[in-house]
Amino acid sequence: MIKKNELIKGNTDALLLCVIARQPMYGYQIIKELDSRSQGYFKFKEGTLYPALHRLEKGGLARGEWRTLPNGRQRRYYHITEKGLNVLVAKRGQWLDYLTAMNRIIQPVPE
Amino acid sequence: MLTVLSHYLDSVKENLRLDHSSQREVIQELEAHIEDEVQDLRESGLSEEEAASTCLTLLGSAKMVARQIYEAHSQGSWTQALLAATPHLLFALLFVLNWWQGVGWLLGMLALVLVMAVYGWWRGKPAWLFPWLGYSLVPVVAAALLLLYLPRSWSWVAILFYLPLALWLLYAITVQTIKRDWLYTSLMLLPVPTIVGWFLAIEPINQLPEDWLQRMQDFAPWIGLTFLALGVTVATFIRLRKRWLRVSVLVVSGLITLTMVAYYTEGRLSITAFLILMVVMLLVLLSPSLVERTVRHSGR
Repeated sequence: MIKKNELIKGNTDALLLCVIARQPMYGYQIIKELDSRSQGYFKFKEGTLYPALHRLEKGGLARGEWRTLPNGRQRRYYHITEKGLNVLVAKRGQWLDYLTAMNRIIQPVPE
Repeated sequence: MLTVLSHYLDSVKENLRLDHSSQREVIQELEAHIEDEVQDLRESGLSEEEAASTCLTLLGSAKMVARQIYEAHSQGSWTQALLAATPHLLFALLFVLNWWQGVGWLLGMLALVLVMAVYGWWRGKPAWLFPWLGYSLVPVVAAALLLLYLPRSWSWVAILFYLPLALWLLYAITVQTIKRDWLYTSLMLLPVPTIVGWFLAIEPINQLPEDWLQRMQDFAPWIGLTFLALGVTVATFIRLRKRWLRVSVLVVSGLITLTMVAYYTEGRLSITAFLILMVVMLLVLLSPSLVERTVRHSGR
């Protein structure tokens, strides 16, 4: 049985790119968004989020930018880049192929 | 912010080992995260202490977070790897092509090394700087050694003025480098065991300069080869992400280059000298980690 943590770990980049592709977000917002959109399934170990975001940035898939919020606080927003979008499209395709194949096999055969 | 949260951020900062601007950004980002999290937890009914403690549990170990962020930032590009390897490769060329006897080549290379070292130092000490910085200190050490050979009446100049100044310079640069990351000090000192090894292996018994020059000429291709090995080591170091791999590559490189010195000089380096050199190499490459602890404790 594959552990949930391992599933998340293997797909961290895709998950993060998906979230910031919709709109630029900062770290804490990303965690909340993942939690809410997955209905609590993706509970990120928060400390691992920032290394993953920095890895994406270093790889040119995301770009960080400091913005000042209306309350005066500063937050680092992550935007997806052109390269990041291309990677996301490829990862999405792989994932959908995988899901289709899995569904064909895993679904019970009607008797 | 509660002390426990400040301690957490201090611990992350201490283990990050990034350049100052990246370090500041990472800490600011984590600080913002903690601020949001604690506020949400407080609004859900937790006390300040409970909110802080839950927030730290959710973040996980400070050392682990710092290590993972370091690994996300540590890998240099191929251009940086090439730039870092260049001083070693130039020294390799100097010997392989027998240019080491040409004053013009030596002065040109010295000027290039100094320019690159100063440029890198003022550009925020990127990883590629440290091999250049190491070579830029060679003339300082060489001048100190040459001053010792001055006539007796002049040696006081070296002892009173030059040596304290040179030692202060070496100390200041080493401490500044260790504050950035002790591994960069090791990178800076990487050629020292190899240079000492060749010096001991080539030194003629009768101390005649002509003999010394002749031996240098005989061994020049092999000296060049060891510098080439150092260049490959440095490029590999820059491309690696994990610290333990970086440490391993430096130590393995020290072992290989000293073995090359012993092999190519065909027994001119006694087994005792070889073993002492190995110990010196380990001390030179690994002692900066101990110095780093002392520097950090004294800085607190």
